[in-house]
Amino acid sequence: MVAGELVSQSIVNGILLGGIYAVAALGLSLVFGIMDIVNLAHGHMLMVGAYVAILVFAATGITPLVGMFIAMGLLFVLGIVLQKVLLKHVVGEGIEQPIIVLFGLALILQNIGQLVLGGDARTADLGIPGDGINLGFAFLSLPRTVTFVVAVVLIGATWAFLQYTKTGQAIRATAQNRTAARYMGIDTDRIYIITLGIGTALAGAAGALLSMLFPINPFVGWSYLLKAFAVVVLGGVGSILGTLVGGVILGVSENLGALYLGGGYRNVVSLLIFLGVLLLKPEGLFGTGGGGE
Amino acid sequence: MAGLAGCAFGGGGGGGDDTLTIAGTIPETGAFSSLGQDLRRGYELGQARMNEQLDRDVELILQDDESDAQTLRQNLQQMTSNNDVDMIWGSFSSLLVTAGSAFAENQNLPFLGIAFAYEAPHRNDNYEWTYAPFPKSRDVARSTLGTLELIPEGNRPNRVGIWEPNSGWGKEQADYWENRLGDAGYDIVLRETFEIGSQDFSTLISQSQSADVEVLLSNPTPGGGITAVNQMQSNNWSPKMLKFVRGADPSAWWSALSDAGAYALMCPGWVPGLTGNGNQRLRESYMSEYDTESQYMPVNVGGSYNLTQVALQAVQAAGSTEADAIQSALRSETFQTVIGEFGFEDNGLPAEGDLTAPTGQWWDGAQRLAYPNTGSQRALEFKYPIPSWSER
Repeated sequence: MVAGELVSQSIVNGILLGGIYAVAALGLSLVFGIMDIVNLAHGHMLMVGAYVAILVFAATGITPLVGMFIAMGLLFVLGIVLQKVLLKHVVGEGIEQPIIVLFGLALILQNIGQLVLGGDARTADLGIPGDGINLGFAFLSLPRTVTFVVAVVLIGATWAFLQYTKTGQAIRATAQNRTAARYMGIDTDRIYIITLGIGTALAGAAGALLSMLFPINPFVGWSYLLKAFAVVVLGGVGSILGTLVGGVILGVSENLGALYLGGGYRNVVSLLIFLGVLLLKPEGLFGTGGGGE
Repeated sequence: MAGLAGCAFGGGGGGGDDTLTIAGTIPETGAFSSLGQDLRRGYELGQARMNEQLDRDVELILQDDESDAQTLRQNLQQMTSNNDVDMIWGSFSSLLVTAGSAFAENQNLPFLGIAFAYEAPHRNDNYEWTYAPFPKSRDVARSTLGTLELIPEGNRPNRVGIWEPNSGWGKEQADYWENRLGDAGYDIVLRETFEIGSQDFSTLISQSQSADVEVLLSNPTPGGGITAVNQMQSNNWSPKMLKFVRGADPSAWWSALSDAGAYALMCPGWVPGLTGNGNQRLRESYMSEYDTESQYMPVNVGGSYNLTQVALQAVQAAGSTEADAIQSALRSETFQTVIGEFGFEDNGLPAEGDLTAPTGQWWDGAQRLAYPNTGSQRALEFKYPIPSWSER
């Protein structure tokens, strides 16, 4: 029999972790929903963002929250360059070509990471003094709480950008109907560039946040890509609210699975939920099936 | 290094009748890369000693296995194809050592491996050529009990928690701990599994806290162990005694955790503070060869040097580099190394109860002997209990 406080602690831990999962998935969801590209290098871009935050922290002692903005800037530029140099030639040419290009990019990033930084895992501290908060029924660890709050702010900012800015509205219009958007004078090539930039910047942000909780090595990209996929499928492609809810469901299910079935089943439980949603509601909990918000 | 004249890297050369040619792999890159340099240094110091003691040249060919079993096999294949190899030395961890062992068994070549506590392969895989001069799971449990008994009875903790990696060795070690400590009257209040490579220990921490675990035992990877302690700190929980076998072995433990890593115990095969059987000479060689002021040698230098002492004594006893003769010596001789005096069973396990299974403790940036008590100035008085995070 599992004690009630253990259950509440696991749920709280899962919710806090789910926020970062949601940020990690949001970039993937945006790119998939708007550009129809499965970014197989998304997890490795997350790894790059994490290393940027770790290296900034190691060199300066400044909290990785600052490094997160540097990582977002660098990854935004990487996304733009990637779209301008590589992906523009393969977008719209079927699903296989972008997948091959991005799979190759993932391997390149992984090997560069290993060559430059070695295979050892690295991590960063939150860099902010303070203790966690005891709620009575659960303890909120400071790093998890701070990273969750930042994750929710990032998700909210992305939603506001898409909802209230002209560029954001153009992105949504492109997601709904690319041809019609062009007729309306929207430069869809530019929209793709911006979308990939935002998607990769969000991957960088998620990586920086994860570096404060978990060790990072050049090989973590694949596992976080899988988690991001699970969240996108759970929440529905292109749905920001769905991504947040999907992230929280994944985080909580991982923790409860570990509690009730043992830590060896942590990932099994989340993947079973992933498969269950694919079978019962393939468009996801909040998805429309048409992409875009 | 004068004694390393016969050392070649990356193949080439080739052993003649008078040359003892040893092939080995070490993890200089990849997941275990933080241990590669220590293993290399121990092997090279040992090779120098072998060149002094044997009436033949000793050639050591070492390659980076990238912490990967497949690369390790490819490396061994290449080295044995290009050289007349007489013996193979292993890498680090059960994963890599068993890969090297499988190759050696297939080639009928004597194989020595450390950082390999897993006993089951010795019993189940019909080992004939594999020998592990290293504390095994049963020895680790024995050493854990001995360490607990250093604590005065009135102050001794009783509630034991075991975090079990979901691997063969994880289960084997957890079984030994549960049986040995349970038989001694300790209360095993928690035994939970976790996935190797897991990065989130928050559930295990909550469960341990809820079960009021005083002694926490596990055998995580180095990365997993470091992550677990980081998460204990952020969750403001700590046991009174923490033993992470293999997880707390590398120097990366302290560089990643600093003072948060203090008090942690490990059982790495050799720890500064052990005495006799060449320990003083090893220390002097290490200090002079690597020009270090450090009082405390990395543990895996001692562990790998111990392996070379077994190799030296086996070849001396065999009087030849023939594989059968070395195998026969390994089976019949008693070896004196920096980790004690021991022989081997036919399946390559060190004879039960013979070798020292030292428990080390991280303190002030160094791993020092906590158990058994040798009286060495490099040993320390076992630090117990671990204070709460707010009192550190």
